[in-house]
Amino acid sequence: MASNSTQATSTSGASPSRIVWRFFLKNRVAVAGMLTVATFFVVALVGLPLTKPEHPTLDPREVRLPDKLKPPLSMPNRTALAPELLPRLGVYLFGTDELGRDVFARMLEGAFVSLAVGFVAVGIAVAIGLALGGMAGYYGSLTLGFGRYRLVTVDTLITGLIDVMLSFPSFFLILTVVAVLPPSIWNIMVVIGLTSWEGTARFVRAEILSLREQEFVQAATALGIPGPRVIMRHLLPNAVAPVLVSATLGIAGAILTESGLSFLGFGVPPPNATWGNILSDGKRYLFDAPWLTFIPGTAIFLLVLAFNLFGEGLREAFNPKLRR
Amino acid sequence: MLAFLLRTAWKKLWTLFFVSVISFAVVYLAPGQPSQIDPLNPRFTPQQLERYRKAFGLDQPLPVQYARFYKQLLTGELRSFKDNQPVLGKIVERTLNSLPLFLVGTILVWCYAFPFGIATAVKRNTGFDRCTTVLVFALISIPGFYLAYLTIIFVVDTFQVDVIGLRTFGREDVGWLYGAMDRTWHLVLPSLLGAAAGIAVLSRYVRSQMLEVMSADYVRTARSKGLDENRVLYHHALRNGLLPFVTMLGLLIPGLIGGSVIFETIFAWPGIGRLGYEAILSRDYPVVIALNFVAAVLTLIGTLLSDLLYMLVDPRIRL
Repeated sequence: MASNSTQATSTSGASPSRIVWRFFLKNRVAVAGMLTVATFFVVALVGLPLTKPEHPTLDPREVRLPDKLKPPLSMPNRTALAPELLPRLGVYLFGTDELGRDVFARMLEGAFVSLAVGFVAVGIAVAIGLALGGMAGYYGSLTLGFGRYRLVTVDTLITGLIDVMLSFPSFFLILTVVAVLPPSIWNIMVVIGLTSWEGTARFVRAEILSLREQEFVQAATALGIPGPRVIMRHLLPNAVAPVLVSATLGIAGAILTESGLSFLGFGVPPPNATWGNILSDGKRYLFDAPWLTFIPGTAIFLLVLAFNLFGEGLREAFNPKLRR
Repeated sequence: MLAFLLRTAWKKLWTLFFVSVISFAVVYLAPGQPSQIDPLNPRFTPQQLERYRKAFGLDQPLPVQYARFYKQLLTGELRSFKDNQPVLGKIVERTLNSLPLFLVGTILVWCYAFPFGIATAVKRNTGFDRCTTVLVFALISIPGFYLAYLTIIFVVDTFQVDVIGLRTFGREDVGWLYGAMDRTWHLVLPSLLGAAAGIAVLSRYVRSQMLEVMSADYVRTARSKGLDENRVLYHHALRNGLLPFVTMLGLLIPGLIGGSVIFETIFAWPGIGRLGYEAILSRDYPVVIALNFVAAVLTLIGTLLSDLLYMLVDPRIRL
């Protein structure tokens, strides 16, 4: 009881986002998730200039056949390799793959790709979800049609589209579309984004349906503020918390989906390295070179886990019912 | 009631129509024609391509092809590009192969997720809850294929046994008892792995559902009446907390097709997910479209069933 009352005094007067932030920081598991995500970010951003194709410091594409399938922390073969082919670090930190490429450099290159796939795909999904959910919630009762014939309401149309998209088995649909399209990293991002906006659209719609009946929105409408501005300035900011949570969890899902696609051979095409296709190339050497499976698998696992714990922590912090 | 049923059925029919259009369109409107089976194959001459397009009706306008496709699919005449077998027959055969995997996996999920989820809700904010939360998120976050490989390496290295396929290769004539045991063993790993993520996700739902119910007013009333904790939890809270899961019974049906692609590929299990993967690899479009369509139809049936079930068990929902 005593701790409750001190909590109440310490949160009074603080802005809502400060309160959420304070509750979030108390959740040690979620903070650990956030810090891990931040670490991966730094690694990916540092790795980008280090492995860029023109003048790489650590070259992820350098083939060294005398040094193929070396285990982690092994020394390069100095007699068989030309001096300019020797790895910059002087040691294969994560070993080499079947072509003698440095797995550490490839993992570094893949870090940025994996994060980019997650962020772009979720960005597309959230944008579609916000737009369609917002329209269905605010303009839902408008009817569409020609002349005198009113056919459907906007709400029927958008919820119908959500139902249609939710009927498909999402992974198999993504696999189908990715297999039909020419292989490219952008196609994968767009396809994952286009097939994962339904959840966001659904709860944005629900949120706006309940918000638009409240006094501050009626006041805004009564002042003559146009619809799009009401949505953007008054409704969406109030619906942002669940969007943020689902986006964080969505990034985790998108990274997993990309790695699954890569694993089945429909991922980002070579020579680009992603964690998914390092793992998928390594599966042929499962028993001889298990590090080719362990290292990218563990990296994907840690990153996805960090995003999931971070998102769950946000969800709990945003939910006033769970703050005790 | 009848009006509600008719209205729902009408809506589902419209959804079904758009589902059929989208499953058809994703393949036919994408760049690259369905007839480009292997554009790099030098023996695939333009004349042959033309003959092939004619034989499968690929030279006709899209709406005609669309109507033709679904007419053939529904009458069972649709044939695979690859081996000219009826598509529906292939789907049924592979579904029967997937069925044991699906049944065992589902039973595992439902038997473990509920006790686990309830326990974590009751012991909220204890060390047990924190450990299991991290464990559950680990199971959700680990890529399925990675977990499968870790398990395969461990089991094969430790026990020196065969884990891939429906049964041990080269031991088909060993008598029914050994055969049955062998088949059961080969079911264990893929169904356990398939169930792992399911247990994690479902137990998380059970936990949040239980937490919601446990903070409800009527549960506080039950406690203040002096009932003992077990009765409050399992008689008052749990009954209402379980209601939403009735709807999940209906949503189980589509799980038969979706989600099994990766595990069936790794374990060389000749099931429905692998059929889909093989069809995509060999650009066998009739099978690909039919699988997407059938899966979506099963989902629609599942949601209809779950709506009905929910109406039956929850007296608050009456239409």
